[in-house]
Amino acid sequence: MNFYLFIDLVVAGLVTGGIYAVVALGLNLQYGLMRIMNIAHGEFLMLGAYFTYALVKVTGASPLWFIPPMMVALFLLGLLLHRLIFRLLAATSPNAEAMEARSLIVGFGLMFIAQNVAQLIWGGGMSGQPYLDAPVTFGEVTVAANRLLVLVVVAAASLALVLVLKKTLLGKAVRGMLQAPLGAMLVGIDTRTLHPACFGLGLALAGLAGGLLSMVYELTPAMGEPYTISALIVITLGGLGNIPGAIAGAILLGLAETFGMYFTSPSMKILISYGVLVGVLLLRPKGLFAR
Amino acid sequence: MMRNIHFLIAVALLAALPAIESPFIQSMALTCLMFAGLAVSWSMFSGPTRYLSLATSAFFGLGAYCTAWGLGKLPWPAVVMLGGCAAVVFAFAIGLITLRLRGAYFAVITYGLGELVKHSITHVEKTWFGTVGRVMTETPSSATVYWTVLAIAALAVWTYVAFGRSRYGHALRGIGMDEERAATLGVNPMRVKLIGFCLSAWFAGALGAAMAVRWTYIDPHTVFNPFIVFQTVLISMVGGPLTIGGPLIGALAFSLLSEFLRLSLPYLYMIILGVLLIVSVLYLPDGIAGYDWKRLWEKITRRKAPEEKP
Repeated sequence: MNFYLFIDLVVAGLVTGGIYAVVALGLNLQYGLMRIMNIAHGEFLMLGAYFTYALVKVTGASPLWFIPPMMVALFLLGLLLHRLIFRLLAATSPNAEAMEARSLIVGFGLMFIAQNVAQLIWGGGMSGQPYLDAPVTFGEVTVAANRLLVLVVVAAASLALVLVLKKTLLGKAVRGMLQAPLGAMLVGIDTRTLHPACFGLGLALAGLAGGLLSMVYELTPAMGEPYTISALIVITLGGLGNIPGAIAGAILLGLAETFGMYFTSPSMKILISYGVLVGVLLLRPKGLFAR
Repeated sequence: MMRNIHFLIAVALLAALPAIESPFIQSMALTCLMFAGLAVSWSMFSGPTRYLSLATSAFFGLGAYCTAWGLGKLPWPAVVMLGGCAAVVFAFAIGLITLRLRGAYFAVITYGLGELVKHSITHVEKTWFGTVGRVMTETPSSATVYWTVLAIAALAVWTYVAFGRSRYGHALRGIGMDEERAATLGVNPMRVKLIGFCLSAWFAGALGAAMAVRWTYIDPHTVFNPFIVFQTVLISMVGGPLTIGGPLIGALAFSLLSEFLRLSLPYLYMIILGVLLIVSVLYLPDGIAGYDWKRLWEKITRRKAPEEKP
């Protein structure tokens, strides 16, 4: 294996891993804070991708313009879903395990609804809107510009989220809720406002990933599912509620998939993903970085 | 005693159904019985323990693949038995390692293992046998298939009731309420859970084996379809897994609904399923059969009563 091929694979792995990180961070917040096992998380990625694509098709402008408003729309959708469903679910669940199991079923319901609504509106598979697919060369290494853009945006988004969580008072409140939900309430953290906000933020992050993916890959109503699985693997790898761990886990999984696929065959991708998921759950159910 | 007689009469009436020579009714009854059997067997374990198993598709698919392999080599009842036993072996193997996990972890890993089996079989078939699916010749008559599925479903109902009354049924309910407490009271949780999980797997596997011949051509994506487990869980949750009536009501309602909506408006049908799933989880945590309808009725009548006064 020559050096340039190696660099190519690393870049591809980092792009995949970066997307996983953004998707998994949202799911991690939802699960860590509210015990919402949102199996429909990838569906919001799909909605983000379709919204962006539809707007680009109507206006002909660059997809980058539509990503921020689409994220705001998904954030509001998150607030609505939290108000309609998850607040009641949390209030009526006797314990955390019941909450997890019931939210999982709700997630399957949301998945059915989102996928089939997309199918009704936009039909089956359709090609994305290739944007900025000109190659950029660094010496001998060639990378498509849009992949580079994806990498930069997801890195910036992950970094921003980590900084907010580490440096601001708001972030401290969220970390407090992650560590001790009851303790956080006792010291006066307003969980009634922060829970819906974090749920919405998770959806917005999934939408960001979707909007970026619409520039690179083909869109289908079921495109979100593999990302949900990957996000589940990532948060199990990183440990629930552990934000830096999730980022490390995402990059690890992205690299493992890219290299694994190169050395075996592309049809093995899904087998590798599920193999990693089952292996991690069995061997280290508390995450790779658990102390 | 009365209940036993009602049960036998119902089974006898259903067994006589092929006498009405209507392929439509027969096929609908077959789907209904299949989902009734799946939902009852799922509720057997997941109802009392509240362990959300999503492995039903894997059991079903393994059973179906046993049929694809064994049909023509073995007599029909042996094929169905084999399908059930393959599911039990798989359930035992995964139960040993997964039944230690709780909550969403258990659900996710059973789903993941099911998908892993599906993709492994796809891969093995493609690389070793150079095929995508398998065609079944020498299939038994449709009446035979119907009676087989009816027999398995009836056996599932009988087992649900008998198992629920046995020591194991009580132990499983104890685990569902508080696993640590059940363990201190002398229940061996692992053993009891494994027995319940394997027992419920047998029915799903046998149903898969019996239903496989209906398709004549099977591939992993049809018989390991996650939709099978989603529909099963939905039927059980909406009907209410804690009483035998729940999964049966659910199966009947959903077979009718799917028969009328699925072919004409497939996407709308799935959207309706999704909405029903969410509504039932939110408002009917114990299902239709587990809901206290009497109290609701009293509430309504009591609320109306003061309005009638001037």
